[in-house]
Amino acid sequence: MTEPLKPVYLEDKLNEVRGDGHLSYRSSSLPTWCPGCGYFSVAEGVAMAFNRLKVPSKDAVIVSGIGCASRFPFFMETYGFHTLHGRTLPVATGVKVANDKLTVVAVGGDGDAFAIGGGHIPHAARRNVDITYLVFDNGIYGLTKGQTSPTSVQGFVTPSTPYESHDRPLNPLMMLLSYGASWVGQAYAGQPHHLTDMIAGAIAHRGFSYLHILSPCVTFDKTEMTYANLNVRVRDLPADHDPTDRMAALEQATRTGTPALGLFYREDRPTLADGMADIAMRATAGIPAKGKKARG
Amino acid sequence: MGEAIHNVIIGNGSAGNGAAATLRERDPDCRITIITMGSLPFYNRYDLPRVFRGCYDWREILVHPLSYYDDQNITLRRNSRVTDVDGRKRTITFAHNETMHYDRLLVCAGGQGYLPEELSDYRGLMNGFNSFEAAITTYKALPAGGSMIMLGGDMIGLDLARTLIDTGYKVLLLTNEYTFWPHRIADDEREGFINALKHMGIEVIDGVHPVAVEEGIAGKPARRVVLDGGGEILGDVVMPSYGLVPTAEFMLGSGVDIERGMLVDPMLHTTDENIWAAGDVCQIWSAEDNTYRFYYGWNNVRLMGEVAARNVTGANETFKGLDDERLRIDKNGHLASPFWEY
Amino acid sequence: MNRKGTDIQFAIIGSAGDGTIAAGDILKRAMARLGYKVIAFDIYPAEIRGFGKCISRVRITTEQAYSLKRHSDVLISLDDSYAIPHVGEVRDYGAVIYESSPVARLAEGGHITAHIKPSQLPYGVQVRGISERATASARSRNIVVLGYLAGLYGIDPKAFREIIAAKFRTKAQAVTDQNTAAFDAGFETGKAVFKLDDIVLGPPLHNKEAEKTTMMTGNGAVVRGCIDAGLDTFFGYPITPATTILERLAAELPKHGGRVLQTEDEISAIAATIGAGYAGARSATATSGPGLALMAEMLGLSVMGEVPSVVFVSQRGGPSTGLPTKTEQSDLNLAVFGGAGDAQRIVLAPTNVDGCYRTAGKAFEMAEQYQTPVVVLLDLYLSNRYETVVLPDKNPFSRNLDKQMADGGAGYMRFADSDDHISPRAIPGQEGGMHTVTGLEHNQLGKPSDLPENHEAMNAKRHLKLEAALRHPDFTICKRFGDEGPVDVGVLGWGSTFGEILEAMFAAQDEGIRCSAMKVVMLSPLPKDQIAAFMDDCGTVLLPELNYEGQLANLVSGALGRPVTKLTRSTGSPMQVEEILAEIRRLAQARAA
Repeated sequence: MTEPLKPVYLEDKLNEVRGDGHLSYRSSSLPTWCPGCGYFSVAEGVAMAFNRLKVPSKDAVIVSGIGCASRFPFFMETYGFHTLHGRTLPVATGVKVANDKLTVVAVGGDGDAFAIGGGHIPHAARRNVDITYLVFDNGIYGLTKGQTSPTSVQGFVTPSTPYESHDRPLNPLMMLLSYGASWVGQAYAGQPHHLTDMIAGAIAHRGFSYLHILSPCVTFDKTEMTYANLNVRVRDLPADHDPTDRMAALEQATRTGTPALGLFYREDRPTLADGMADIAMRATAGIPAKGKKARG
Repeated sequence: MGEAIHNVIIGNGSAGNGAAATLRERDPDCRITIITMGSLPFYNRYDLPRVFRGCYDWREILVHPLSYYDDQNITLRRNSRVTDVDGRKRTITFAHNETMHYDRLLVCAGGQGYLPEELSDYRGLMNGFNSFEAAITTYKALPAGGSMIMLGGDMIGLDLARTLIDTGYKVLLLTNEYTFWPHRIADDEREGFINALKHMGIEVIDGVHPVAVEEGIAGKPARRVVLDGGGEILGDVVMPSYGLVPTAEFMLGSGVDIERGMLVDPMLHTTDENIWAAGDVCQIWSAEDNTYRFYYGWNNVRLMGEVAARNVTGANETFKGLDDERLRIDKNGHLASPFWEY
Repeated sequence: MNRKGTDIQFAIIGSAGDGTIAAGDILKRAMARLGYKVIAFDIYPAEIRGFGKCISRVRITTEQAYSLKRHSDVLISLDDSYAIPHVGEVRDYGAVIYESSPVARLAEGGHITAHIKPSQLPYGVQVRGISERATASARSRNIVVLGYLAGLYGIDPKAFREIIAAKFRTKAQAVTDQNTAAFDAGFETGKAVFKLDDIVLGPPLHNKEAEKTTMMTGNGAVVRGCIDAGLDTFFGYPITPATTILERLAAELPKHGGRVLQTEDEISAIAATIGAGYAGARSATATSGPGLALMAEMLGLSVMGEVPSVVFVSQRGGPSTGLPTKTEQSDLNLAVFGGAGDAQRIVLAPTNVDGCYRTAGKAFEMAEQYQTPVVVLLDLYLSNRYETVVLPDKNPFSRNLDKQMADGGAGYMRFADSDDHISPRAIPGQEGGMHTVTGLEHNQLGKPSDLPENHEAMNAKRHLKLEAALRHPDFTICKRFGDEGPVDVGVLGWGSTFGEILEAMFAAQDEGIRCSAMKVVMLSPLPKDQIAAFMDDCGTVLLPELNYEGQLANLVSGALGRPVTKLTRSTGSPMQVEEILAEIRRLAQARAA
């Protein structure tokens, strides 16, 4: 059993990280999240991952949608684009296609990603555009004060579902695995060091990386996705889990009662930029389209 | 409400149009369709020599304004060649594979210029004058002051000849038995009429027999008529003028009697109760002469069309041709003919 | 309304399998090659599969024309069942050319000769027979008919043979030979025919321009303008009638170093376009009304974030899914106003194919310089209309017009206000320029702010900066034609309808009416001063447009507080020159009274 988290104070943090150098990635704007929100760990994790991977600030672009998670770019000293609800991935794709040398990280909450944004995810995955998608899943709509979300538990009582919600929650990990994402992992804000490692791994991966981050909303969800509950339920992926085995990853993802943390699946395949470079080469050489490719 | 009677007229000449106008007058409700192989609305074929007097636009020789057809509710089917008529089924078949039904049929298909068999190989080198297109083609083929070699010289050809002389061209006439057709000339009258032709300025060449027509050699006139027994005549254009034969072949198998032309009674009715004929295409029974005979000339054909149309619409009128059909010489010593009145 | 010199309009009508469109294509390219000016428009069957009526209309002139004519001079029927209803389209003394020996048995009235009017000239041709004798198959009937046309009207066959060779160059040589044989056989037949109509082809006026002349559709010209302006990235979603822009760029842009992506929907397309614009690329998307409606929210983000983006919109019948294969001009309101809040953006509408080329390229200049979205409005008719254009020798478009960040570092103000209200922009990858662009209202630093003075100031900044677009160099935002000074009737117009307006204006002038027309190419910001000056000269102002509500009329009246006379049509087809002329006459007579 892990220790209960202590509140984090800025001065302590500053002392801890001053020698590290990752502070340069944080902007002078202080996050506006509620104290105890899991997103603080994510912000730290991203800054530390950039630092570890030596990504220059000027080459980093953080793209967000609408929601609590989406305030993210303001708190980072990088380029950022705070876009519209659900439209993070296509904007991020446009940034990356325009300049492939940029490191593009898309962030969003579970509503931004899986309600209004749900239609864009499969296409980012199947294009294998080389961006990182961090989804902060708190199973609720925090910014608009606590309505149910696509990952909320069934029967959730919220201001928009006073008689309990009817809908069954989506399984984001199964979805991303079946969309063919080339890197799928899960982490937990309550394990910040592991979270940082996972973020670094996701950014380092060449291709579309999806990291699902379980992150409690301390203000509006006092009963379901709390630190207390998650601390008990989360586990690591089995030591012998083969991240190249998609069926094994899917099987792990079905076990929603005990969310597994770690790298579920990884494959290396040509990115969108690789495909476009190939098209450019064939177009300028006058080579007609190749024969029909195999399906799926 | 019963469907209107469909009266179909084959032929867009003076007979056919005379018939159409009369039909419309007597039956305002019937459907009238005029069928022609030609491409133009009605113009008077007898008027074509005007082409040599500055009339090059077909719009100027039309008899009716173009609005006539709409105003009179007459349908004009051009470029339409009839290949078959079935008298029993009362259908007409066109070369373009369309079938038309008629209630009453008036055949006014007229006649075509006759060309003797021996000269048929040379048709392509000779010029006709039986349509606007042929007339313009002939006009363009004649250089200023040029010469036309006319073979035969029927009254249609001689009418053209006098216009040609009048407009500064030369005409060389090779005479034969068709000269002065359809007039029948007694032997003792012939010399007088030939002299009248010479008096009109036509150069008459008697007693020669053309056997071939060839292209002229470079630097010489465009045409060369080869004569029997050697000898040649040079000119710019060669025009056969051997009288008309009725255009009746398409009526074979329709059920009506045909000799050279379509045989009709004095009321212009054929042996088929729904088919009449008028104009150069038909031969009318003459009790007087005890034979079927032709009537020519604009006055005759126009009148035939009108009589036939009246009979189609219930009348019982007998056609009576011109009283006087003789060829004459006028006070100037020029030829004069009732067939030249139009 | 004939232009001076040669003015002949051909209409080829047949079914989809007859090669109708291909024949029209060869005809218009051959005539362009010979040096004539050409306007052409094809109508396709409504259904995708097999059969259905095709019409290819080609107007050739020696003097510039601006629209198709209501009456064609020559009708060529490749299938009587489709051509018969259109016989009335041929003018008096015009020609109707048709198959004289059809294979099928026809009932009375089934052949086109039953419908040709006494004032029209019929030309029966054994098209099928000639094709079979020349090529052992009936498939080349459409080519035979082209040869016949060339022979009949004395058109130089060389240009046709060159176009045929070019058209079939990717196929076996036998195919080219077959088609050439079919053309030649038709040509010999046509040459021997006695011509009865009064159609005369005069020599082209500007033969020396023939080499530089090219034939394009509106969409093709947009593509060319994008490439010449250095388009970097294009994101598109298929929608009639804009799909060909996506497809042509997909084939061409990679050859010029650009990248094209077909997205999953229009929202993704505009989102990626804006993302790429943010990252410093020249980027665009193309759609029609329904897609633009989906994009409205994103356009607002582009406005608020002062990010360059370009959207080409080919308007079609609306509202909603509307009439996807019919033309209309009813998305003006959406283009100018669509989106939450006071989100003004630049809206341009070319009036002809040459304008499509020019406006497309200039759109990127303006998006970049004024850091704003630019919406370029075409319509289905203009998108698919072919015109001969002469492209400039030198590339007319400028690059690097954005005001770049000079000194950055901490405290860099991405949205700093200034005299021209355009802020220095940092591009991701630039040292010292880090900032976040947001759809929230923000201060000059780009940080979210809802302070009252800030919002007013920012609204002002975003609106006032666009006024410079009214003076954008080398771009005609509006232009007056016709009589100078005071006139009886003035006609305002936009988009492809301006072609018909010009022709009506010329006809009105010929009738002695003092008449002038003004095209409005920049619709937002609206050139109020120029339009007001024009309206001052006009006794009365007519505004014809292809929509029900009179969208530009409402816009102009609202902006200037002055009334105009509307002439609205929403038939799905271009307006007729005669309709506009009749209205000009009526207004002129009313004034005289």
